Amino acid sequence: MGGHRPGWLNGTLAWATVIYLILPITIILPVSLTDQRFLSLPYERLSAQHYVTLLTTPAWTNAILQSAWIATASTLLAVVLGTLCAIGCWRLSRRSTDLVRALMLLPIIIPTITYAVGLYRYFARLGLLDSFTGVVIAHGVTGIPYVVITVSTALAAFDPRLESAARGMGASLGQTLRWVILPRIMPGIVSGAIFAFIHSWDELVVVLFIASRRVFTLPRKIWDGINENLDPAMAAVAVLLVGMTVLLLLMDLALRRRRTG
Amino acid sequence: MSAVAGHALSLQRVSKRYGDFVAVQDASLEVASGQFLTLLGPSGSGKTTILMMIAGFVEPTEGRVLLDGRDITALPPERRDFGMVFQGYALFPHMTVAENVAFPLRVRKLGRAERDAKVRAALDLVQLDRFAERKPSQLSGGQQQRVALARALVFDPALLLLDEPLSALDKKLRAELQEELKALHRRVGRTFINVTHDQEEALSLSDEIAILNHGHLIQVGAPETLYERPATRFVADFLGKSNFIEGEAEADAGGFVLRRGAARVVASGAPRAGRTLLSLRPEKIALLPEGATEDNVVEGRIASWSYVGTGYALTVMTPDLGNIRVHLPAWRIPVSPAEGLPVRLGWARDAAVAVAEDPGSPVPGGVA
Repeated sequence: MGGHRPGWLNGTLAWATVIYLILPITIILPVSLTDQRFLSLPYERLSAQHYVTLLTTPAWTNAILQSAWIATASTLLAVVLGTLCAIGCWRLSRRSTDLVRALMLLPIIIPTITYAVGLYRYFARLGLLDSFTGVVIAHGVTGIPYVVITVSTALAAFDPRLESAARGMGASLGQTLRWVILPRIMPGIVSGAIFAFIHSWDELVVVLFIASRRVFTLPRKIWDGINENLDPAMAAVAVLLVGMTVLLLLMDLALRRRRTG
Repeated sequence: MSAVAGHALSLQRVSKRYGDFVAVQDASLEVASGQFLTLLGPSGSGKTTILMMIAGFVEPTEGRVLLDGRDITALPPERRDFGMVFQGYALFPHMTVAENVAFPLRVRKLGRAERDAKVRAALDLVQLDRFAERKPSQLSGGQQQRVALARALVFDPALLLLDEPLSALDKKLRAELQEELKALHRRVGRTFINVTHDQEEALSLSDEIAILNHGHLIQVGAPETLYERPATRFVADFLGKSNFIEGEAEADAGGFVLRRGAARVVASGAPRAGRTLLSLRPEKIALLPEGATEDNVVEGRIASWSYVGTGYALTVMTPDLGNIRVHLPAWRIPVSPAEGLPVRLGWARDAAVAVAEDPGSPVPGGVA
């Protein structure tokens, strides 16, 4: 291995940055295990009581289930639309398709709050406010960019001769897509799906705007909880949220490693 | 599919233009059933474009493509039923060898038993039956090429199209696979259309060669015909090597005489007059021993020479005809070559052939 060994200053700075980044996340773990009835560090012993509350209080379990369902449904929507869009742009590959691809990235470029205000006006007219469908659509559409990015990257590495070969052997567009293109770009699709899921799983701003009484996702429940009371169950929820996200990211990492390995 | 194994293909006045760029200009071609035809030309000559028009991936700007007399110009590639071996093979990396070969059958919704039997037969045909469960990345270049062949032949295609099938392989392997490809063509008796820029490959594999340059189809014929009777300067130069002698021709008893300055060159063939270009192969010229004579005799000095294993390659500077390249079998050379050595060159009157200048190149006054 060549290269310089980092000096002590560099090393210290790097570690300080890492700690700065993960400290707020790690602090919630001991807080969630507190033996007190308010948001604090454990006084005498560790306790799992808030996890029990979390899993036995219908308000919390409902929120968890709702979030899971919304994330799953919106991921499905984002994956289907994003993949089709990426494949379409790749196949046509004109100047206009570059524009379309750039447009698809808008939801993550423009400030979420702007997007949320727009959605609010528009969903009110369509009667989609405070509905499961509305949130799924909103999260699905804002999840598309992640899928478009990862699938486009996978397609850039796809050998177009494979498509020609399939067609030359008599395969229809559908067969070529199913048996040749999709299997080749599957790692990109899965990656996109993971990011779209994470996006919906911890999205708050849009939900705050378009949901009121019926739709309570986990992030929104935490938000309300913080405003109303300082229940340590919230720390337990936060651990759950972070755990889920880390799990998904590790999955993505493992997939990438398998692809390059 | 009919019982006849091969199908006939014909191109009628086919052109392909991309904006102002002419990739193929007015090409007509007949490929008889069961034939092995090679499209030969340097890169950019339009040979691959013609193959892609036959395959259906490129739509001709003008002209028609006929299969057994049926117009297929507008038919998309997936409905033409042609097997194709792509440059670099285009094997599906996520499938095993067997799955790759089964792909065209899966597309055609064949039953499992029939599919397996055909895949096995196709892999047997290319001697890869032991590799059925491997992935393409676990095979050598030559083996991948054979998988591509098996995959292209497994569904009994009307035609087999090959796009530079041997170009990715090293020289020795290429020679081996040329033999195999030729044997395979004989065994399956189908119509093969091959694209290459390698003249040796074209000569050794093909029943017919179509030579292309700058988008023009210049000459079509059997390899022997093309080599012995090239129609144009380009053909004579691209297939093997050639000397060119230009002069004024006039008819004589056995054909014609070409005058160039003080020199006279007699040639057989149709009598002709006016400006004429002769092509003379280096290996058809002899070094004449003392006292011997020939139809044509030219004196000169050896300007340079090299030993190439099969013989000597000499460049002889002649006062009358300029530099002439001569190729002599090593064991038949009457002198030991040395620079500056005076020699007499001789060749029979039927050794040289008149060739035309090529379309697109400047035509010196009135070549027939």
